[in-house]
Amino acid sequence: MQPPGGPSQKLALPHIQNIVAVASGKGGVGKSTVAANLALALARTSPRVGLLDADIYGPSVPIMMGVREVVDQATTPFPLERYGLKLMSMGFLVPPAQAVIWRGPMVHRAITQFLTDINWGPLDYLVIDLPPGTGDAQLTLTQTAPLSGAVIVTTPQDVALIDARKGLEMFRQVRVPVLGIIENMSGFQGEDGKRINIFGHGGGQKLANEAGVPFLGEIPIDPRVAECGDQGEPIVHKYPDSVVGKAYQALAATVIEQLRRSGKTPELPEVQL
Amino acid sequence: MSASGSAPLMPVTLSKDGPDRLIIEWSDGHRGVYTWQHLRANCPCAGCRDLREKPPDPFRILKPEELVPLAPVRMPPVGHYAYKIVWSDGHDSGIYTLEHLRSLCQCPQCNAEVRMQNAE
Repeated sequence: MQPPGGPSQKLALPHIQNIVAVASGKGGVGKSTVAANLALALARTSPRVGLLDADIYGPSVPIMMGVREVVDQATTPFPLERYGLKLMSMGFLVPPAQAVIWRGPMVHRAITQFLTDINWGPLDYLVIDLPPGTGDAQLTLTQTAPLSGAVIVTTPQDVALIDARKGLEMFRQVRVPVLGIIENMSGFQGEDGKRINIFGHGGGQKLANEAGVPFLGEIPIDPRVAECGDQGEPIVHKYPDSVVGKAYQALAATVIEQLRRSGKTPELPEVQL
Repeated sequence: MSASGSAPLMPVTLSKDGPDRLIIEWSDGHRGVYTWQHLRANCPCAGCRDLREKPPDPFRILKPEELVPLAPVRMPPVGHYAYKIVWSDGHDSGIYTLEHLRSLCQCPQCNAEVRMQNAE
């Protein structure tokens, strides 16, 4: 509890032009992969892009970006830089095998510190990889950070859509613009050109139509996506001319356009007491 | 709020009306009137909701901060969707969403609507 007259919760981050949250109600749909590759695709249009890993309990950014050891802050300042991105993650502070067993207030403090105590410098885009669900991390960000918008990641099947709807509804309730829906793992095209919809197809578009938000695009299945993630060099960087690499670049262009259309969310008026 | 949806209800201005009331001008033209007492009595925090559901404790000892007249100290926005009220007794855990604030309006029109709903 703050003492009366204490500082406001809202953070002002004027040096960061656009803050985009990558979210989903559901785990396992590829948020971190989408966040990392989207950030890299954005970095092909701007040299000032950051990626903040807000999944305190299960950070994925370190392994995806090839950072396999805890960072010694005495010798390596934050944010780290890889592939032209500025990065911050709990995974840089905690060994991979160590569980972070924290209640909400600690999560809130960590995420707030990642936003305010890390010298991000001027950024055109800060992509935030959210954990699954609609809990503490999401609340912290929507209450304190000037989010420009959120993209909702889903896979095509109904079991993913159920939770994606919840994630989308959360952003509506807290009045963060939903930039649109991304359908990840959207079909696999074999060498014979035949498409196989392993997880179905069209769920993302269906959800976008139902919710009245833009459908931002499909990311097809490519085994190299997982290989690149595990090897610490995301596919947009390693295979930018692949079908998936180009899909992410198209996605980045669409996100940029949606950010432009969405504009700045007006701040709530204040009252002097 | 989606990138392509219609504009949701928003407060345009907030202002004090004397020591006891808050006025909110809403984007649909409605002029909301609230006493601070009413806002505190309807604090949405989990603790206050729990207290409201229990019968009052006649043996509860008041804290020193409860012996001074209650007043709001600050009312900062929370994100783009709510306000927090910081009270003179230190209580500040209530987050009033814009929808909840609108529902607490005590203007004559809203009071009449509430009376009609309660009568049904």
